[in-house]
Amino acid sequence: MTTSSTSGPAPGHRAAAPERLERDAPGPDSKNRPAWSAGALRLDRFSGLYLAVVLVVVFSVMLPDTFGTMDNARVIAASSAIAGILTLSVALSMAAGTFDISLAANMTFSICLLGALLTRGDLAWPVAVSLTIVAGALVGAVNAFVITRFGVEAIVATLGMSSVLAALSFWVSDGQTVLISDAGPSFADAGQSTIASVPITVFYLAAVAIALWFVLEHTPFGRYLYAIGSNPQAAKLAGIKVQRLQSLSLMITGALAALAGVILTMQLGAASFGAGAPYLLPAFAATFLGSTQILPGRFNVRGTIVALYLLAIAVKGLQLQFPDLPWIKDLVEGSVLIVAVSITARAISRRSTR
Amino acid sequence: MEAEGQARLQLAGVSKTFGAVRVLDDVSLDIAAGEVHALVGQNGSGKSTLIKVLAGFYQADPGATAVIDGAPRELGDPNDIHAAGVRFVHQDLGLVPALSVVDNLALGHGYARSQGMRINWREQRAAARRALAAVGYELDVRRLVDDLQPVERTAVAIARALQSAHGEMSILVLDEPTATMPKGEVQRLVQIVRAVRSRGVGVLYVSHHLEEVFELADRVTVLVDGQRVGTERCSQIDHKKLVTMMTGGVVDDVRRRAVGTRGKTMLSLERLSGAELTGLDLQVRAGEVVGVAGITGSGREEICSLVFGSKPRRGTVTVGDRELPPSRPDRSCRAGLALVPANRLRDGVVIGLNVRENLNITTTRGLAKFSFIRPGLDRRQAAALGTKMSVKAPSLDASIEALSGGNQQKVVLGKWLQTNPSVLLLDEPTQGVDISAKAEIHRLIDDAVSQGLAVLVCSSDEAELERLCDRVVVLREGRAVAEVAAPDIRTRQLIHLSLGLTA
Repeated sequence: MTTSSTSGPAPGHRAAAPERLERDAPGPDSKNRPAWSAGALRLDRFSGLYLAVVLVVVFSVMLPDTFGTMDNARVIAASSAIAGILTLSVALSMAAGTFDISLAANMTFSICLLGALLTRGDLAWPVAVSLTIVAGALVGAVNAFVITRFGVEAIVATLGMSSVLAALSFWVSDGQTVLISDAGPSFADAGQSTIASVPITVFYLAAVAIALWFVLEHTPFGRYLYAIGSNPQAAKLAGIKVQRLQSLSLMITGALAALAGVILTMQLGAASFGAGAPYLLPAFAATFLGSTQILPGRFNVRGTIVALYLLAIAVKGLQLQFPDLPWIKDLVEGSVLIVAVSITARAISRRSTR
Repeated sequence: MEAEGQARLQLAGVSKTFGAVRVLDDVSLDIAAGEVHALVGQNGSGKSTLIKVLAGFYQADPGATAVIDGAPRELGDPNDIHAAGVRFVHQDLGLVPALSVVDNLALGHGYARSQGMRINWREQRAAARRALAAVGYELDVRRLVDDLQPVERTAVAIARALQSAHGEMSILVLDEPTATMPKGEVQRLVQIVRAVRSRGVGVLYVSHHLEEVFELADRVTVLVDGQRVGTERCSQIDHKKLVTMMTGGVVDDVRRRAVGTRGKTMLSLERLSGAELTGLDLQVRAGEVVGVAGITGSGREEICSLVFGSKPRRGTVTVGDRELPPSRPDRSCRAGLALVPANRLRDGVVIGLNVRENLNITTTRGLAKFSFIRPGLDRRQAAALGTKMSVKAPSLDASIEALSGGNQQKVVLGKWLQTNPSVLLLDEPTQGVDISAKAEIHRLIDDAVSQGLAVLVCSSDEAELERLCDRVVVLREGRAVAEVAAPDIRTRQLIHLSLGLTA
């Protein structure tokens, strides 16, 4: 392939005005922007960000002693970090037009595997952590193999995988939560220390987010994934290896799920059996909500992070406001998932009828 | 010209413009009770637009009127037209293949119930048999539609249309009913249409096959470039006269491109088979444009997909001196093959990526250094390519859907020319593209060929083949039946050959 940016107009071709592409319409995307997005606020892209700020202000005024504290901010940041890594892994698979519902089970399995490796395997913890992440990637590879080679629907293949992983988790851990005591103090530090009073897990999330943002928006791999996610048929006809790239994205997805499990284990100092399951729904909710933010219509990293923290702030604020309503978290997350998917579905149907 | 009997449908003054292009210009049409009225014309002559206007799918330009059975009706309102007893059987028939004939006939019509909401299958089967008998057809109504032959499916679709009108059908529109039907079955369709006609229904019959028109129709209306050039009694004209009418408006365009020097053979097909196509041998040399003509169902639609590997094939495809593996579009790309597919929105552009990303999608890897796409280079290359292809877009970051069909097509063509392919496959390169964009695309193809590209172009627009090609192969029923070389390529002759008439 060649990339001759310097090649001029072809011979015999009337040269067009060089900047005509930019000048045909008054503003970028002006045709596609909904009416209510007018103005500098760009509500169509940043509504989640504004809403998050508003929620922070409202809850801080209403609950100055519980919500509006540094400790609370740290709790929100730290607890969202692990959910965030899982959420980004969901966004990566969705960007490539596939789907992995076995992520939470993969996370649980990784926790159990890590616990077993550390307590029974007599391995140095960095080795055990690496093996665990490789195992997560392998789970993703098996998913990819079943989906792309046998043509099994992603939701069915990964639902089946969830159950298999649940069995493996039990087998590895005997269904027990084990305390990680003999891995050394550096293992706990890796999950529990703070840097400049910011929990270390936030830095893990930041690292993963920056890496994925870079991959998705600034590498050929990322652009091919978006092409596949938007229109696999056209991507295939553009010479893109659809199956191979989808497989790769599922493997990275698996590895990230395992990483989330590893960090949770470090944070808790224990390999907690079944700890992955509660993360599944919020991860999908934030991913879909994220696809309506920053780069609407795309599963993008920045939008996903905005959605993640918006959800976390809303849930935490409501939990503190209504401490005797334990179901409020599930209600909010479930509603957000349904509403976000409705928005995406509506955008898609409007697009295809135009 | 008045037909005997009362007119069931009178359309008058129907025009339709898309943007600046007038695809229908003051067309009038009347159909009498018990008449089969054929509608013929080249691709792009406005036949399907006229049907879509009648169906209410498109809104006609102001001034169009429709009178059905003496009562004025609202054109553009599907419900009003439906209430007037007009029924459409489109090429895809709209049946559910996985269900039985009984179920397909009951869908939208309701099931016969016995006590306790249970479906009365005995009554239901009898109703289905009655519905089929109304079109003069018999078959085992318990069979799945999937297992039926094409003509049997068409019979079911027509029976369903008749049944849904509760015996009040005024007009039946059959849109290319025989396009994918083997010759032997066409006779059975003719009998069905006659049975419908004998009930006093007016039939509007759209077809490419002129022999069917003469066998079946009472009158024929010819459209050329959106205008009605005439309505004739079939008994008063012959094949030759009809073809002359169909091609009357076609100007035999002067070839603009000088025949360049030919290089060595770049694309070679040997015994290529798949879908409708059987055993095609074809060579295309560098600097040569080879066209493929043929009516719908002749195998023309599949050639490009078969060569590129997006549909499974038999036979060998060689690019340069490398044989390509089947079903591997990525390998085809690397071997220097490029495909501009016919279905632009499904296969050509990537909806969801913006104009810049679509322009660069085939060359993204080359824009990256250490896996990092350099944003400046990304923009510059897209801007240069957009300018070279004279793409008109609101901005490089605009959604690809904001572009007109012609500009989308230039993006697709441009992304491939950017890869410096050795062979370019064009499938309906200017379908649904306005006239000025069409001329620009033709010129861009000329430029590419003059630089030594080998081009294979499949088109249902014979005038386009005359304009572009050095050689045209004509397909009929999956086989190459004739080959014409420049300067003797004539639109009219290509049409004759595709239809199987002697020129």
